[in-house]
Amino acid sequence: MFASSQFDANTAFAGGGFMPSQPSQFVDASSSSSARSRDSQGLVPVTVKLISEASHSGEDKSSFSINGLEVTNVTLVGMVFNKDERASDVSFTLDDGTGRIDCKRWASEVFDTKEMEAVQDGMYVRLNGHLKSFQGRRQLVAFSVRPVTNFDEVTFHYIDCIHFHLQNSKSQLGVATTQPHMVDTSLNTPNRTGPNGYQTAPSTHFSSQFGADGLKDTDQLILDYLQQPSCSERERGVHINELSQQMKIPEKKIMDSISSLENEGLIYSTIDEFHYKFARG
Amino acid sequence: MDTSNPAVFVNGSLLRMYVGRRVRAVIQAIQPDAGGVTGKTTDDHQLVVKGSPPPVRLTNFVEIIGIADSDRSIRAEMWTNFGDTFDTQNYNQLCQLANGEFKHLFI
Repeated sequence: MFASSQFDANTAFAGGGFMPSQPSQFVDASSSSSARSRDSQGLVPVTVKLISEASHSGEDKSSFSINGLEVTNVTLVGMVFNKDERASDVSFTLDDGTGRIDCKRWASEVFDTKEMEAVQDGMYVRLNGHLKSFQGRRQLVAFSVRPVTNFDEVTFHYIDCIHFHLQNSKSQLGVATTQPHMVDTSLNTPNRTGPNGYQTAPSTHFSSQFGADGLKDTDQLILDYLQQPSCSERERGVHINELSQQMKIPEKKIMDSISSLENEGLIYSTIDEFHYKFARG
Repeated sequence: MDTSNPAVFVNGSLLRMYVGRRVRAVIQAIQPDAGGVTGKTTDDHQLVVKGSPPPVRLTNFVEIIGIADSDRSIRAEMWTNFGDTFDTQNYNQLCQLANGEFKHLFI
């Protein structure tokens, strides 16, 4: 569902400059990625360095994966060089300060050629396109190339990359990516935020708090939650649905933790096997 | 695809770590002087930019890409006008992040 709305955005972006082969590629990308609902994303912000480190994935080795996430459509910001206008396409190199990558823009519609006319060597642009491998070399097939006019966009793009990949690596650990408000408040206090509110300290705090052993840490989260006065005061305890919703952890994971905690005698069930309380003493 | 010559995001205090290497920095309010121009980095350090600027009017903020000469100067290869308004705090934080725990995304 999410993937198809991104699909429309991409169509709008391309403004009709949109080769017949592209829809099927988009469908492939979105259908394979919607199979893993957590992986479906639109344009992934990347740097050329990240692209260079991406590994091939998929049955036909045509897609790429970065840090375990399948990536096809990407967005970059960089400087254009070696622009070469040919009959059927425009090719150029994009240098984003982390590396250079070859790019190609198919001139299939008037929109494409007009957009590329405005792009000159030495200009910063925002490029949206998809990753391809051609004769062993990685390339970008661009469907949108826009000159940057406000240079805060340059700063933003790199911060966007950092943010996206941080979120991605957090979700790889199997822990909720949204801020679980019931986790101890020390998470929220070291607030060394930049002016745009991008929180750096909490993120690193987060990743150090949750180790690779996701299940064990879910145990701790549940125990913390159940020990809150608002929960321990309730005679019937807390329903596992509430635990799942509040902590944004899948129910299956909650139930696994519940059964191991119950075996250790740290919690006990109350009115039925869905309600649990923290065992005191 | 080529990642052999990246330009590291630096501010005044990070510049000394990359002497002799290719760096990029945003400088404010360039004042021309002998041999180059002087400006202020996003963390309020003075920086000398060696080389000749392009023949266009320089805006208030300019991005310099070049080789770090010393801990206070860069030999410029590219000058890009970044406009008269720019969020220096954001950029400064980015420099710190790009050289800290997220270095692997950049260089």
